[in-house]
Amino acid sequence: MALRLRLRRGGPAGEAAGADVETLERRRLNLVLGLAVGLGLAPVLYLYLLLVLSSFSNTMLTSLPLPGSGVELTLRNWEMLFRGQVAPAAGKIYTTRDIVLIILNTLVVALGVTAVVVAASVMAGYAFSRLRFRWRRGLMEFIILLHAFPGVALIIAVYAVYVWSLGPVRELLGRDSLAAYSVFYTVLARASLEIPMSIWLMKGFFDRIPWEVEWSALIDGASRFTVWRRILLPQVKPGIAALAIFAFLAGWEDLIYVRVFLYPQVKTLATFIEESVAGLETAYLPVVAAAGTLYLIPTIVFFIATQRLLLEAMSGGVKG
Amino acid sequence: MPGRPRPGPAFFFLLPALALILVFYVVPLILSVYIGFTPLRDWNLQRLGELSLDNYRRLYHLVLHDPDLRKVVQTTIVFTSVTLAVNVLGGLVLALAMFFMDEWLSLPYRLLWLLPRMTPVAVYSLLWYYFFLPGREGILNSWLMSLGLIDEPRAWGKDPELLPYSAWAILVLVNGFVGVSFGMIVFYSALKSIPREQVIAARIDGASTLQLARHVLIPQIRWHIVYVTVWQLLSLLTTFAHIFLLVEWGTLDRAWGSNWALYVFNTAFLTQDQGFAAAAATVLVAVGVVLGLLALRLMRFREMMVEPKGEL
Amino acid sequence: MVEVRLEGVSKRFGRVVAVDNVSIVFEDGRFTVLLGPSGSGKSTILYLVAGVYKPSSGRIFFGDRDVTNLPPKERNVGLVFQNYALYPHMTVYENIAFPLRLRGEDEAAIDRKVHEVARLLHIEELLDRRPGQLSGGQQQRVALARALVKEPDVLLLDEPLSNLDALLRLTIRGELKKLQQKLGITAIHVTHDQAEAMSMADKIVVIDRGRVQQEGPPLEVYERPRNLFVATFIGSPPANTLPATVEHRDGYPLIRVAGSLYRPGERHAAKIREAGLDRVVVAFRPEHARLAEHPPEGEDLAFEAEVYLVEPLGRENIVTLEAAGMPVKVVTPPEERPSGRLYVVVPRERVLLFEPETGLSLDHL
Repeated sequence: MALRLRLRRGGPAGEAAGADVETLERRRLNLVLGLAVGLGLAPVLYLYLLLVLSSFSNTMLTSLPLPGSGVELTLRNWEMLFRGQVAPAAGKIYTTRDIVLIILNTLVVALGVTAVVVAASVMAGYAFSRLRFRWRRGLMEFIILLHAFPGVALIIAVYAVYVWSLGPVRELLGRDSLAAYSVFYTVLARASLEIPMSIWLMKGFFDRIPWEVEWSALIDGASRFTVWRRILLPQVKPGIAALAIFAFLAGWEDLIYVRVFLYPQVKTLATFIEESVAGLETAYLPVVAAAGTLYLIPTIVFFIATQRLLLEAMSGGVKG
Repeated sequence: MPGRPRPGPAFFFLLPALALILVFYVVPLILSVYIGFTPLRDWNLQRLGELSLDNYRRLYHLVLHDPDLRKVVQTTIVFTSVTLAVNVLGGLVLALAMFFMDEWLSLPYRLLWLLPRMTPVAVYSLLWYYFFLPGREGILNSWLMSLGLIDEPRAWGKDPELLPYSAWAILVLVNGFVGVSFGMIVFYSALKSIPREQVIAARIDGASTLQLARHVLIPQIRWHIVYVTVWQLLSLLTTFAHIFLLVEWGTLDRAWGSNWALYVFNTAFLTQDQGFAAAAATVLVAVGVVLGLLALRLMRFREMMVEPKGEL
Repeated sequence: MVEVRLEGVSKRFGRVVAVDNVSIVFEDGRFTVLLGPSGSGKSTILYLVAGVYKPSSGRIFFGDRDVTNLPPKERNVGLVFQNYALYPHMTVYENIAFPLRLRGEDEAAIDRKVHEVARLLHIEELLDRRPGQLSGGQQQRVALARALVKEPDVLLLDEPLSNLDALLRLTIRGELKKLQQKLGITAIHVTHDQAEAMSMADKIVVIDRGRVQQEGPPLEVYERPRNLFVATFIGSPPANTLPATVEHRDGYPLIRVAGSLYRPGERHAAKIREAGLDRVVVAFRPEHARLAEHPPEGEDLAFEAEVYLVEPLGRENIVTLEAAGMPVKVVTPPEERPSGRLYVVVPRERVLLFEPETGLSLDHL
């Protein structure tokens, strides 16, 4: 399922933005459909709003903090989150360093996944788009099959490989390196989930570059690698950007792989929230809401920044 | 251009991706099936040598007789089929609504409907955890109490009076909002690729909006519908991240709130019974392969796996 | 059948004005062709008539009925698209039956009408096929059948012939015109092909930049173009245009064109004086000029030119000459093989004069 730009169709039939005829009662249709679709979504959006607002409140909100509701708006939760004074009563003490470390860990995993996914799929996508080799077609089909296949069903075996690899790693690099190795393995395992789709997307981007460009460079005496790096890569930059964003968000949001493979001391925002909700008293939920809001920020930023790109790539192929 | 296949550059460019695929797909795929025949426990890899069918016998026995696993099986069937229907039909209805809306309205809506899918699992689950919180602080309880519909706060996902239906409803609700956007996006883009002249022609022929959808639009995206159904079935059978958190956080009853995939995960990483978990996972792996092949065929049917022009 | 009238209709897409204050009468039962280059707004006018677009201002009437805001459904028009827009998932029969189904007609009536129109268009043997299995010409007929089966008041044709190969186009051109005459239906046909327009139209409406440039019977539009755009858009090869200056001798305006002097007729002379022009554009059609060895007697337009290229087309030759640095095309009989320096001679009654600023013909000033 190639990511494809739909070209605007020529002629007057393609000029107007809408697909339907103009003489129908658009306003009423928009109103009815808009209300219906909006009402379906409104409760969920309301929950998001309550979560974000609760992070600025002394108690979890169950309705909007209108004047007179007795809700007091405060930055205390965010202070507690960053000062690391969460709930000594619950036996969990985080220090300032902890939350910064947690954010950094999350970033490291996300950026690691991004780097691996981009590097591997930009290279492979080029090969599938442009190079002739044996099994090309079969291999591509196999990769699309993997795209459909739920990689997470293999997590037991992936963990078994991890356990097996711990021995040699300990021998080679010493005990102290195991935490770093767990990050490394998490990144590779999580990135692999994204690889099949990313290769397919990247192949689509390369497919769109005219052959003549490449031919003329080859005729001018450039090597394949030079052509790839100097001629093609600059032209697929938007594709790489899209891929990087998706990979980053995938790494950023991951819970399962981080939880399974990372050393227990190495926390990310996902596992931090998981533990806090499970371990803290309900009274501290606003602090967790602050952590959740913090966790949501990159997602929302990318979400707003890449709107159309996002929709297009989504229609290209994404795991449902 | 030299016409002879040159394995050199292709191998170089494919190496990183193929290495990852080998280590994280091919080897685990075989290993996963293999572990299912071993008594692996607590990741004691020494036991990988002992092969038997014990795990499958036990699985068969438990499915028939263990009340908890029976609940999990029922939950899996109900959750998967209901959510599938919600996702496919909901996606179709949403896509049609977006199609008939003006772009200025449909673009923000499509984005907003993607929000649950894009939100980190932990945050999205947190929203629902808080919504279904058993105490008075829970949003749902607080709403219903202020409306006078209930007197006492309830533990929605665990209350024996309401189980299993309440747990199922929560599962469908939580996963439905995530899943419905997939169908919406795929269907919407398929609808958009139908030549606009056909819409105009149908309008000139006198079609109402419903007739247009029913006779002209939906028949032309029927393969997309099949495709989305297969794809969604696959992902619903193997999804468990949200459910994992809601069960762990106590929002859902452990048995009635778990699906097969979560059962596998918990057996492997909580109960540390990996041999048995792998046997249970084999079911998922088999379903994954079969449905994956089916999805592949459907994609081929649609896209014909466009060969790049002018291969070098 | 019905007369279609546009009164001061404009259509804007955002800031682009596609149709600019257009008033046209499409007469009842006549075949009117909207002719113009691509992007001229001619298709937009057609879609305004169909009710696909809503005018930004102005009104549209079908007879006495104001249809400006009516959806297509209530206008009873048939529309044939350039790409035919057949429903790929329906058979030919279902495609044609679709408009009748939507009207809720009973199956017997539908069956009768579908077969009737299929017979009319010679596509009876195709009824069980799907559009994907048909050739372009067959699809075109099916699209026409679907438009006609509902017995529309107005038949709208949006470049329906442009996706066909040249030979088929000629055949269908004739058939379409004959069919329209037989049914006596009001037809509006959009095309950028001036030969198609000339051969089919009862009336041609030339459109450019969203405005009506000229309307009238084909021959009139051809011979008496209202402005330079029409003169150069219609005709193959198009009319020659030569910039010229006006010199006054004894109070009478003479026109200096390509080095020669031309004495316009009284009527043109009066217009030139009236408007105080010191420059004009001289135009003539290639087939109205002849080549001569010597300057002719009398007062026809004549100027010297050098033969540059002769293109033999079999039935005629197209000779390109250079006169005072400007290219001039002349159509000559096939046996003539002109060369060297010659005189281009145009009979007085064939000389067209235009005002250079507005491009308007002096006859229409």
